[in-house]
Amino acid sequence: MENNVLPLQGVRVVDFSWVWAGPYSAMLLAALGAEVIKVEGHKRTDLMRHIVVWPLPDAAPQEVPPNQGMAFNSVNMSKKSVTLDLTKLEGVQLAKQLAVMSDIVVDNLRPGSMVRLGLGYEELRQIRPDIIVVSSSSRGQKGPEKDYAGYATIHHAIGGGAYITGYADDAPCHSLGDTDIMNATTTAYAALAALYHRMQTGEGQFIDYSQCEGVSSFIGDLLLGYEMNSQIPERMGNAHPKYAPHNVYQCWGVDRWLALEVHSDEEFATLTGVIGKPELAEDPRFASMASRKKNESELDQVIEEWTRARDRDWMVNEFCQAGLAAAPSRDARDLYADPHLRARHAFVTVEHPEVGELELVGVPWKMSDCEMAVERAPLLGEHNDYVLRELLGLSQAEVADLRRNEVIM
Amino acid sequence: MAGDALSGIKVVELATMVSGPYCGKLLADMGADVIKVEPPEGDSSRQCGPFPKSGPCPEHSALFLYNNTSKRGVTLNLDKAEGLDVFKRLLRWADVLIDNHPPQCLGNLGLSWEAMHKLNPALVYTSITPYGRTGPRADVKGDELAIMHAAGLGNLLPTRSVDVSRAPVKMGGYAVGYHGGVTAALATLATLLGRMKTGRGRLIDISLQEVILALVRVNVAGTRYHGTRWSRVPDRPPAMGRMKTSDGYIVVGAIENHHFRALIELMGNPEWAAAAGWDSLAYRVHHLMDVAPMMDEWMLQQRKDDVHHKGAKMGIAMGPINSAKDVVTNKQYAARGYFVEVEHPEAGKHRYAGWPYKMSATPAQVRRPAPLLGQHNREVYCDSLGYSLEELERLQHLGAV
Repeated sequence: MENNVLPLQGVRVVDFSWVWAGPYSAMLLAALGAEVIKVEGHKRTDLMRHIVVWPLPDAAPQEVPPNQGMAFNSVNMSKKSVTLDLTKLEGVQLAKQLAVMSDIVVDNLRPGSMVRLGLGYEELRQIRPDIIVVSSSSRGQKGPEKDYAGYATIHHAIGGGAYITGYADDAPCHSLGDTDIMNATTTAYAALAALYHRMQTGEGQFIDYSQCEGVSSFIGDLLLGYEMNSQIPERMGNAHPKYAPHNVYQCWGVDRWLALEVHSDEEFATLTGVIGKPELAEDPRFASMASRKKNESELDQVIEEWTRARDRDWMVNEFCQAGLAAAPSRDARDLYADPHLRARHAFVTVEHPEVGELELVGVPWKMSDCEMAVERAPLLGEHNDYVLRELLGLSQAEVADLRRNEVIM
Repeated sequence: MAGDALSGIKVVELATMVSGPYCGKLLADMGADVIKVEPPEGDSSRQCGPFPKSGPCPEHSALFLYNNTSKRGVTLNLDKAEGLDVFKRLLRWADVLIDNHPPQCLGNLGLSWEAMHKLNPALVYTSITPYGRTGPRADVKGDELAIMHAAGLGNLLPTRSVDVSRAPVKMGGYAVGYHGGVTAALATLATLLGRMKTGRGRLIDISLQEVILALVRVNVAGTRYHGTRWSRVPDRPPAMGRMKTSDGYIVVGAIENHHFRALIELMGNPEWAAAAGWDSLAYRVHHLMDVAPMMDEWMLQQRKDDVHHKGAKMGIAMGPINSAKDVVTNKQYAARGYFVEVEHPEAGKHRYAGWPYKMSATPAQVRRPAPLLGQHNREVYCDSLGYSLEELERLQHLGAV
């Protein structure tokens, strides 16, 4: 058999999720070859379809038309879209038919919502015993805080990530939407583990995912450290507990910075050569890892004196050519311009009927002999006919009735 | 029916620190048979803390203990020809190889992807590198700090900074490593599912820069196509988001109208909130700063946990900024059984962070503590690979094992 088949070809996923964390988990499955059908009510569409910025609580969420939100278009690629009004019985029945024709059902509604709609795991498994249902929520499906609401920034705070992020002498700092993307990746992993198990045994299951806990699992080393020594890990900015220099240095220009990390005496000797101060390698203040760490701020000043007067990209190039780990602190424009990302096709170009050509970030892996199926996100209801007629087998007249009764758009 | 989701999958992990080991841990805690191959001096994470009060010891590193649960551990010296032969035998045995060394590392030992593929056509080779295996920067070094900034996320931190003249920062801990690990685990598992149909292995090329780039995918697109600002310094001083309480900080996300209405009620319907406009998002966007000092003053009187529970019960999205201590004593986590107790022969019994997914049929579990250095040499080399005890002794004598 040919090896260039996408790994999840033949798997169908129904996606009842919205905003970022749920949709991106289903998008990852779509990129791996699954057929992913996103279900939205036309009166209750995914918020991200028409919002510009999210989630920055005090920024202005300006509205755009429903197919043009960049958050939506970035986390729903390669999917199909069907509109079904789930406040109507007919809408729920169709959603249920679709769900039981599928292998995996994904949602990130408040705990209990899918059950109230009649689309809960217990209900679905009566009809489709081997179904896999993944419910991703803020705090999980059970426990005293199950009904509490949250966003990425809040999960990052509760899970313990925010406390350790920021300057040592200033306030902690929460993430942006990246916490949702992270949780989505972990959710997709759990869904595939369930799928693997089903392929071996025929058994389906329910996955209850807590987005706060997702953050905590990424600091498991620090949590175990606290269990062992009762010392609360604090913020360290860009510093490392052992290595120095290990910081971000100001470069010539406005808000231009480079990151530089040195992990050994050899690397430090190389660095002193690049910045034209070889005597520093012999200087007792900086000669060993321990002394460099002890005199770190003095060392940082010496380095920054050099970097402040020079061009960022030139310096990074010099450092990297010499074999050091250095990088510019890139913004969006730098990322799009990065020849390395370009050479690796890290961005994908799609043609969007309403917006035109878009260059968006692709998926974070490459597989030999296998192009990832990253296509533009669907327009609202774009695949209504495909889903209702071809998959669910409705007649044209039945579809027309649904439209008249506003079950579909 | 309880069971292990991934039982039967055989994994060799040639990886250090966080990204590769976390990938291996995710698979092992789900039931895969993961053999961790360490150089004679051990995974370098054994040298990194946090350590117990008794001080540094390679069998006591929390970083190592957490990221290597459920694995068997062997030592192997790949610089010796005999060691390399043993490694090839492991590759013939395995379904998956996880490797987070620089792209040319195994190639220089004669184990390019092509060579491995010939050795075992079904092998899935998961390679995790700073910048990927191709492209002009393939051989450039990069670790947590460099990658966090190389890929864009660092440039947006600290969020809500007030001072653009201060440097952007990395995310705390080993965020790059953990993100890389879970992304690699996802791609690996997908490839194993695809392999059921084709029987053929693949090379999976994970670039940590692209892993972190994926996290800022929306910020990148928004900046280019919506003209939103890309900066760690907000357009206007923050009101909400992170707020200071009497005993720490809380993150408040009263975004929608009903959230803000509830927030006003939570604050005891202060006089300033009597104006009609507060029920409109547009009004709030332009006037929030007028009342920010009053909101800040009110919040400073509150304790973070009290205000969290009161506010959340009223439907406001909010959450305290928890320290490690707050996380390990969190009642919601306790109710879900998030922490699991693990007894390690040297480090003792401790509670470890568990998994954010509760799987009804195949719950993840720590099936054994992280291995001592070389703990399973005999079991793996003799029982799994079929070396005789004499052969193993010879290998040990040669310094290969």
